Amino acid sequence: MLFYVLARKTYARNLQYRGAHMLHNLASALFGFIYMSIWTAIAADQTLGEYGAAGIVSYVAFNQCSLWVAAFLNHGLGIEQLVRTGGIALELMRPAHLFYQLMCKEWGQIAYQFVYKFVPIYALYAIVLPMHIPSSLLVWTSTALALMLAAYMSICLNYLIGAAALWTTESRWLYWANYALSMLLSGFLIPIEWLPKPLEAIARYSFYPFLHYVPTRIYLGMESAATLVGSLLWAAALTAVCLGVTGIMRRKVEVQGG
Amino acid sequence: MSKLQATNGNDRNGSLRMYGLLFRASVRSRMQYRFNFWFSTLMSAMIAIVEFLMLAVILIKFGHIKGWTIAEAGWLYGVLTLSKAMYRTVASDVHNIESYLVSGDLDALLLRPLPVLLALMSRNVSIRFGEVIQGIGILAFSMSALMQEGRIGWLSVPLTLFVVLCGAVLLFSIGLLTATAGFWLTRIGELQNITEDAARTAAQYPLSIYPRWLRGLLIGVIPVGFANFMPGLFVLRGEAGWWMLSLSAVVSAVLLALALVVWKVGISRYQSTGS
Repeated sequence: MLFYVLARKTYARNLQYRGAHMLHNLASALFGFIYMSIWTAIAADQTLGEYGAAGIVSYVAFNQCSLWVAAFLNHGLGIEQLVRTGGIALELMRPAHLFYQLMCKEWGQIAYQFVYKFVPIYALYAIVLPMHIPSSLLVWTSTALALMLAAYMSICLNYLIGAAALWTTESRWLYWANYALSMLLSGFLIPIEWLPKPLEAIARYSFYPFLHYVPTRIYLGMESAATLVGSLLWAAALTAVCLGVTGIMRRKVEVQGG
Repeated sequence: MSKLQATNGNDRNGSLRMYGLLFRASVRSRMQYRFNFWFSTLMSAMIAIVEFLMLAVILIKFGHIKGWTIAEAGWLYGVLTLSKAMYRTVASDVHNIESYLVSGDLDALLLRPLPVLLALMSRNVSIRFGEVIQGIGILAFSMSALMQEGRIGWLSVPLTLFVVLCGAVLLFSIGLLTATAGFWLTRIGELQNITEDAARTAAQYPLSIYPRWLRGLLIGVIPVGFANFMPGLFVLRGEAGWWMLSLSAVVSAVLLALALVVWKVGISRYQSTGS
């Protein structure tokens, strides 16, 4: 119940800014278009492996949409502000676990962004691009599952980034560092198998590919639903870390200001 | 008349001195949080390097993009990074004007004994060491590679410096024009996303990869192409003459003049927020 109430409130709060967000979608779609142009230019003189010129456009387009579900969350789930204002002490005292309540709020944010960002940008791309659209129900369901797990992992990551603010007072930079690493290692722009070997190895042993590469490959029908086991394992591991960190946070918390 | 001009001249010097003073004070206040300063510098350098790696990885794997090698693309990237770092260092809060407009904090700046724009520019100075180091690093790598191939000579070093300076003025002017739109629109985050972020991201790559309409947009409407790609045609490839450098400088100067005029009109229309 708490889950539903918190998620719905965040969703409703975002509704106030629908107009501005629609304008923002144009910018976001433009970014995707820049990335697609890079690949189209490359594809002019070479073949692009199993993707091909058309496949890589769909690959980048779908990744651009899924940013709004799996990457652009509230910076550190807003913990940094809580640390600045001292509100963190109150939040840690609440009867609901800090991780659980922040996660509930963030699901509302993700649901909103799915409806008002993912879907419009996807629709635009589906109209103007030769976008690959799966025909099997199984592919659609496993893509949806993969995206939800990606969103959950992203929530965990942002929780950990926010938690760092207890030690460093600002964690904004960690958010952007994580974002930059994710751009490179998640296969957002470059499919992982095309990374130089050392980077590919790092990526394969990290959770990053499960944020973009895996959901998009499933969407394109290049990967089976069995890959979701990896997403599940990483989600479980990150949850354990988040719960462990909360325990340390309870002992570390100090209130700023005077 | 001459006395009046002299007074004006003194005013201008006084304003600039005041800007310098406030700038240094802002840096000092930032340095109170020494760990955060160095941590954020390290992080921003890492972010910039990873961003460039994305382009580098593609170019290493596929050789070139529409005839642009990694060294040439690196030059475009490095020049733009340095211009952006300069613009954001001297005028950090021009980019963050929205929060002043929404909260009404601009009122306090109107009372200062120096032009509002300078007062705004001297706030929350962020020194972008990370981006500067990364930009210089990439430029050094690219230009030494190009020199070894005999594509460019030593003359390209001062030329590059000139391009970076013009680019900083250009990015500042685009930023200021967007910020000024805030006097009419109040909320400009989304607009900035298009005119500053998307346009600059696009210009990090050779403009020749884009379809005609997008290239036209980046040269004619949001002329960020003049910050690196257009002068690059002359400095790196000799595909344009000396006039290209002058044209880039003229575009920057005209845009700056336009931005300052529009800013004056905008600020005269400023209505504070409140109930």
